[in-house]
Amino acid sequence: MNAPVATAAALELQGLTRRYPGVLALDGVDLTLQRGEVHALAGENGAGKSSLIKILCGADRADGGQMRLFGAAYAPHSPLDAIRAGIRVVHQELHMLDELSVAENLLFEQLPRTRLGLLDRRAMDRRARELLALVGLDDLAPATRVATLGMAQRQLIEIAKALSSQSRIVIMDEPTATLTPRETDRLLALIRQLRDGGVTVVFVSHHLQELFEVCDRVTVLRNGRKVATQAMAATSTDELVRLMVGRDLAARAPRPAAAAPAGAPALRVQGLRFAGQRGQAAINFSLHRGEIVGLAGLVGSGRTETVRALFGADPLAAGQIYRDERPVRITRPQDALAQGICLVTENRKDEGLILDMPIRANISLASLGAVSRSGWMRAQAEAEAAQQMVAQLQIRLASIQQPVRQLSGGNQQKVVLGKWLLRQPQVLLLDEPTRGVDVGAKAEIHALLERMAAQGLAVLVVSSDLRELMGLCDRLLVMSRGVLVGEVARAQFDEAAILSMAYQEYTRSAGAPSAQAA
Amino acid sequence: MPAPNTLRRKSQAALREAGIGVALAGLVAVFALLSPIFLTPSNLTNIFTQISINVILAVGMTFVILIGGIDLSVGSVMAFCAVVAGTVLKLETLDTASAIGLALLAGMAVGALCGLVNGAVSAFWGIPSFIVTLGMLNIARGAALQWTQARSLYEFPDAFNNFGSATLLGVPAIFLVALSLVALGWLVLNRTVFGRLIYAIGNNEEAVRLAGHNVMGYKIVAFVICGAAVGVGAVIYMTRLTIASPISGIGFELNAIAAVIIGGTSLSGGRGSIVGTLLGACIIGVLANGLILIGMSDFLRQMVTGFVIILAVVLDVYRARLTRSAA
Repeated sequence: MNAPVATAAALELQGLTRRYPGVLALDGVDLTLQRGEVHALAGENGAGKSSLIKILCGADRADGGQMRLFGAAYAPHSPLDAIRAGIRVVHQELHMLDELSVAENLLFEQLPRTRLGLLDRRAMDRRARELLALVGLDDLAPATRVATLGMAQRQLIEIAKALSSQSRIVIMDEPTATLTPRETDRLLALIRQLRDGGVTVVFVSHHLQELFEVCDRVTVLRNGRKVATQAMAATSTDELVRLMVGRDLAARAPRPAAAAPAGAPALRVQGLRFAGQRGQAAINFSLHRGEIVGLAGLVGSGRTETVRALFGADPLAAGQIYRDERPVRITRPQDALAQGICLVTENRKDEGLILDMPIRANISLASLGAVSRSGWMRAQAEAEAAQQMVAQLQIRLASIQQPVRQLSGGNQQKVVLGKWLLRQPQVLLLDEPTRGVDVGAKAEIHALLERMAAQGLAVLVVSSDLRELMGLCDRLLVMSRGVLVGEVARAQFDEAAILSMAYQEYTRSAGAPSAQAA
Repeated sequence: MPAPNTLRRKSQAALREAGIGVALAGLVAVFALLSPIFLTPSNLTNIFTQISINVILAVGMTFVILIGGIDLSVGSVMAFCAVVAGTVLKLETLDTASAIGLALLAGMAVGALCGLVNGAVSAFWGIPSFIVTLGMLNIARGAALQWTQARSLYEFPDAFNNFGSATLLGVPAIFLVALSLVALGWLVLNRTVFGRLIYAIGNNEEAVRLAGHNVMGYKIVAFVICGAAVGVGAVIYMTRLTIASPISGIGFELNAIAAVIIGGTSLSGGRGSIVGTLLGACIIGVLANGLILIGMSDFLRQMVTGFVIILAVVLDVYRARLTRSAA
């Protein structure tokens, strides 16, 4: 079974499966990469692309299935194993040593040495120039400190680094996200050059247009399953979107249409820009009491930045926020809380919870004034408040003294919700509130939000799960590459249409003027 | 989800303290067996007297370490507090009682001010407190020497000097001061909003910030508390020595840190207790005293203390690992 076959594919995956608590990230994925092809990996957020890449590059291990690399069994235990086997990943997030030179970063894993074992600077310099020339950075001195370079140059250096070892398979995860159109063109040309040299390239990008420009075949993933592998020439943007979304829409009964929002909006945003926003367009929208509005878009489209700016977690670059039509200034979380605005952050373990402290202390953390008198904690009041939230949110626990760490993801998220609900907010912002939460708790959280909205809470939900938003929300705002591209009312919800809005700014050829959708 | 063993969890902090208490009891038992004088009342009084200053400093240090900081300036600041307090004490215009009261206040004020600088600089610019307090270590020592032109101050009022050797029912008065600071520290850490936030900040600063709290302010206050405790320690130390010396307190910060760490407080912050700190200081004191009684040389004693510090941290790492894997 292990005998290499002369005509073996570059990489062959059979039934690859990866299970996380409560989620099947990869569900029996079969995939064959030919030698010297550029293979696109497409899918929505959470479809399994990242999980697949992690397993290929040795950062994670599969629970089931087999991989064969050029006919031989392949099971990397570490990223180093993968590099030795000739598989190299250019990561979305750059991992560079800022204080070292370009040359040192490029050749970090195989620094040339002289016979005395000292660093061979001349050889290093020469080798670095060769690699830089490959990615079109001929005029960059190898001795330049990486900290002085911009994101695009770093990205190209990262790619050059992938070429420095004898890579047989190069995986590029969103390599063009930070590049200008000219740099992107150069990168695509480089990819073709690599392919012609017999290297297999796996290409992941939100920019569907790029896939058509450079890829030979495409594999679409959805919910951890492979949906299709097709020749690029035999498909279209529309078909790809349809494959990514799937046809089995609306598994969950939509909630009854809410009464049309009446009166002044609870929250109105005028001309908002967050730090680091792309493009010129500012963000404008309003949110009414009793309404659940979804903020849809791809990861990195600016959804998280928007809600964080509204809460004062990160500074606002420009814009005015109105609460009940009164202009308010929000520069710190304190300001938002004083206005009755709360935020359930994206990352509950790092930002939402104090994992090693008791559930009781986590629930009271944002309401310490209510459970204390002149600075002294009232243990009884605190316990009662915590118990009240535990009952209201049906948090499953043994005791409110338990550290939150011991709870399941869903129950941890309910503790975060309890912390905010104890403050009786008027505007609740939630960033990926059901990520890593099991199905049961997910349904409970949805029901809770609907109940709270019915009582007059204004809710804004960010989620990468479009179907979740369509089931839960009265209205959707769609963001694409830092631009609020449109708004969709419940009656017009259509998954493919919304998704193409989310891709709008990515698929459009660079430089074209922005058109306002919907 | 399997039902967690809550009873065990709930009393985890208490268990940690109990563990340190058992270690202390073991040490006491060993020395009692090895030396006939160890358990005599006069020797016990001796131990209490010897550890009092370290207990006072360690109570303050516990606050700083709980927020994930460290204060290396304690010994130098103590000398600075002492010379300022000594100067106030010798003011001719004051009667004895008010001189003593003002001297204590002056010492605490100087300590609190140094703590304020430590805390403000490290919190505002995000500089590790290790570095800021290393700077303060030199600044305060220089300030103390400059203040008296390197001379020691002495000839304090008798009422002041007598306090250092006074006892109440055989317990040294200065140890009672230390114990009352332990009690105060315990109350603040366990019963107040401030104490709750100190633990919370040490565990997850960002979550506390996003819950709408002024993290920077609380961190600064922790350093101010540590400084004020140093001021108290400085004055108490003067009552024992009957002098105020600008070169006193060298290395005291390390003893205080050792007491906190042996007492089970995590250097990365968020976990630990004042009771543990008291027990940690007792372990150091008992070791120092007992090893002398059994005739161990100075040099070997120092080595043993070093081993105990490392052992305490290693045990702590093991316990943390067990906790994580059980969760």
